[in-house]
Amino acid sequence: MALIQVEHVKKSFEKLQVLKDVSFSVNPGDVIAIIGSSGSGKSTLLRCLIHLENVDGGSITVGGKPMVEQGVYAPPAQIRQITAQMGMVFQHFHLFPHLNVEKNLTLPLHLHDKSLSKAECLQKCKELLQKVGLLEKLDALPAHLSGGQKQRVAIARALMLNPQIMLFDEPTSALDPELTAEVLFTMQQLAKEKMTMVVVTHEMEFAQRVANRVLFMDGGEIVEEGTPQQIFEHPQQARTQQFLRTALH
Amino acid sequence: MDFSYLMKIAGPMLEGAVASVGLFFICIVISLPLGFLFTLMARSRFFPLRWIANIFIYVMRGTPLLLQLLFIYFGLPVIPVIGQYLRFGRFMAACIGFTLNYAAYFAEIFRGGLLSIDKGQYEASQVLGLTRLQTTWHIILPQMVRVALPSLANEAITLVKDTSLLYAVSVPEILHYAQTAVNRDLNILPFVVAAAIYLILNGILTLAFKQLEKKFSYQ
Repeated sequence: MALIQVEHVKKSFEKLQVLKDVSFSVNPGDVIAIIGSSGSGKSTLLRCLIHLENVDGGSITVGGKPMVEQGVYAPPAQIRQITAQMGMVFQHFHLFPHLNVEKNLTLPLHLHDKSLSKAECLQKCKELLQKVGLLEKLDALPAHLSGGQKQRVAIARALMLNPQIMLFDEPTSALDPELTAEVLFTMQQLAKEKMTMVVVTHEMEFAQRVANRVLFMDGGEIVEEGTPQQIFEHPQQARTQQFLRTALH
Repeated sequence: MDFSYLMKIAGPMLEGAVASVGLFFICIVISLPLGFLFTLMARSRFFPLRWIANIFIYVMRGTPLLLQLLFIYFGLPVIPVIGQYLRFGRFMAACIGFTLNYAAYFAEIFRGGLLSIDKGQYEASQVLGLTRLQTTWHIILPQMVRVALPSLANEAITLVKDTSLLYAVSVPEILHYAQTAVNRDLNILPFVVAAAIYLILNGILTLAFKQLEKKFSYQ
């Protein structure tokens, strides 16, 4: 069964329709890359999945539970339960600047589950920092980290709540080119561990190598969908071909 | 200008300083949270709350503090029928006036602090499962205070000086004793002593805020 099911989702900002009847599904273990030019609606689509934006119509079901059905949202408590299954990583990290790395990771978990002891939270925090290779930054404030380090901390923070699905909104777009590799490497590790991931990205190489499915969006709709090989080597649609001509060179 | 004269006038003036410092602390302790409450009200989705907060802030900032004090102490008791229930002691009336007035200024300072916080902080909090209350308390408030601190320090120093308005509702404070002594003794020294007391109080305050700013800096 699909982990995320998106059906006929529509979304407008004022008069501009940014999502026109978008449908797709995510299966457990999928790594889905959403590509497309700026303004194609790909970030908005991702934000709708975790309820940072409200859809105007359509349905989104996560883990079998409907978050929104034909434009009607579930009660807030159920929405919270559903979105809690997902972690999100932002383009601009959004670490909490007044908290050190440890607190950035432990505070949400602590607030989420009061039954966990401080030591348990810290243990988990250390495990995840180890995983992203930043254990030595435990006491550092975000201001003292490089962009790549901030994003790896942000990934670890999102993992603290044991999400089943990780959403990435252009995770390397705000980084200097020499810093993108470390973030992509961390994401690749996650993919290897069979984490279900939906990644909005401009990194065509990452989409090609790590994703098992690629969605190409343009003008608020999914124009083409397929394996990386299908999309990058044999794009069927003229719009996809045109986008890839400029994106790959 | 001998030492015994200095002691003679400084005694009552320090007594007056106690009233000023008392008013200062009462006002700060109540008006800071009250101000933040007005900030939140002014941002509420519920329109009457917004309306009340904005009118309150407009009136409190738009009229002189002196008028507000006179209004509360002398004005309220002469309102027909309900006036008899609105009789406050001098110091009490001053506390009410100062607290309401400063709450309005603090509300505006906090609003400025909130404007400086990136939308991403709210979004990150939401996707990490924090409730609105948790977000405000753990994420937004500390960042807002850091931004607001320099302006708060400014207001606090103004407040110390404004306590001289206690004079208007006849609560004996520093300035009252200084003025009396100058008239009585035809000597300028009491004014100098009064200035010194204000400077010392504000010196302490400035140092305290420096420490606070250090504590809240996260660079």
